[in-house]
Amino acid sequence: LPAGGVSLRLCSTRVTLEGINKPVIDRIIRVDHAGEYGANRIYAGQMAVLGRSSVGPIIQQMWNQEKDHLKKFNELMVAYRVRPTVLLPFWNVAGFVLGAGSALLGKKGAMACTVAVEESISDHYNSQIRTLMEEDPEKYKELLQIIKQFRDDEREHHDIGLEHDAEAAPAYSVLKTAIQLGCKAAIFLSERI
Amino acid sequence: NMAAAAAGSLRRAGWRLWRGRAVVRCQLYSPQRALQVSAVLRRVSDEQKKEPLASSSQQQFDSHPTNHQPEQEPQGPRPSYTGQGGQESEDYESEEQLQHRILTAALEFVPEHGWTAEAIAEGAKTLGLSVAAAGMFHSDGSELILHFVSQCNTKLSELLEQEQKLVQLGKAEKKPTDQFLRDAVEARLRMLIPYIEKWPQAVSILLLPHNIPSSLNLLTSMIDDIWQYAGDQSTDFNWYTRRAVLTGIYNTTELVMMQDSSPDFEETWRFLENRVADAMNMGNAANQVQSTGEAVVQGLMGAAVTVSDAETSRAVR
Repeated sequence: LPAGGVSLRLCSTRVTLEGINKPVIDRIIRVDHAGEYGANRIYAGQMAVLGRSSVGPIIQQMWNQEKDHLKKFNELMVAYRVRPTVLLPFWNVAGFVLGAGSALLGKKGAMACTVAVEESISDHYNSQIRTLMEEDPEKYKELLQIIKQFRDDEREHHDIGLEHDAEAAPAYSVLKTAIQLGCKAAIFLSERI
Repeated sequence: NMAAAAAGSLRRAGWRLWRGRAVVRCQLYSPQRALQVSAVLRRVSDEQKKEPLASSSQQQFDSHPTNHQPEQEPQGPRPSYTGQGGQESEDYESEEQLQHRILTAALEFVPEHGWTAEAIAEGAKTLGLSVAAAGMFHSDGSELILHFVSQCNTKLSELLEQEQKLVQLGKAEKKPTDQFLRDAVEARLRMLIPYIEKWPQAVSILLLPHNIPSSLNLLTSMIDDIWQYAGDQSTDFNWYTRRAVLTGIYNTTELVMMQDSSPDFEETWRFLENRVADAMNMGNAANQVQSTGEAVVQGLMGAAVTVSDAETSRAVR
């Protein structure tokens, strides 16, 4: 049985995931899984460049938290029988390139990337929380708890990024806007494909 | 005359139903229409036998003289003759359920008549309905085939569910993946054996453009089910690779089966075994390639670090 008290019968045909709004939950889990996967790759890229610098340990710590998030979504994906997005191999490369690229702009560049991405992700989690609350807070209690927790973690990463002079990065506002646009596109695609 | 008019209106109703139909998911039909169509069927029916039936938009039934309930009638309560107002919930049968029953009954006649409106008409007759009931369905037999496929998939899921229960209770051994897949595909394909003569016709109908969404949907959910019970927990691109591979195995084996004349289709099962073995080997080869790739990358990274350190130390000097 999956972690937590999710009431469903595993390994039966999908109609027996009783009473949940399958299309909505499908999308939520698929896009969140893709997001955490991408975040993992971004931090991996940043570590590849800045691993041995002074911000290495901070990035490593944030990366470890993202790894936990991904693990959780892997479990949820199996439990709810959700298919992953086809674009995973693409996010694999794109995430790493974004992380490494922003890190090549220096420590502040990496932090700026972190701020941009984490802000996007927390906004995205917030809107998912709203959706689930509108649907049925009781039925989706466990999922809501998880998303709220992760949203708080991402906010924390965002604040850490700001503390480490993200705003002093070269072309901060341009960088931030571009990255957030990319995140919006990634979210849109991963929900559907 | 009344029968022809009713049959005509049935055909139109069926056509409207058909056009309004959305993509078929697990349930094949949209259960929204009133029971007027079924009610008209009753009136047109020549037979004495009746279905127990109640509806909110109740029509005035001509009181057909009631006789015995047909023996093979699976549903419980006896027919009520004052049809209107008799809204016992056990009597209530949606149009969708009625259609399912007709199609199930029609399967018996497929070996003789093929996947056609004739088979559906014969099926309707055994349930005590008029042959005009076939007008509810598309004339190329699409719904009959889709119904059959859906039924087979459900049977397969139940079979796999039971097997899994036995394993969980410790009463059976957990099969290795290749054997599991082989047995699941074989079990599913064996369901075609009674209809194998007419199956090529069915496949060609399923490939018609207006049927492709439904048939593809049924195929993908079946394959997903099989992998689910096989214990697949992949959350990366493997999810797609595995399903694509198994779909290929299933489809090619099905094709082989259609022109296999060996006793009990042994050639087909041997073909299946070989394809599954190929797939397993492919999986192993893929893993090996990945490990080799990773080792190569590590080697390159090590070389890069060495070179950059050497450069740094030379620059410092």
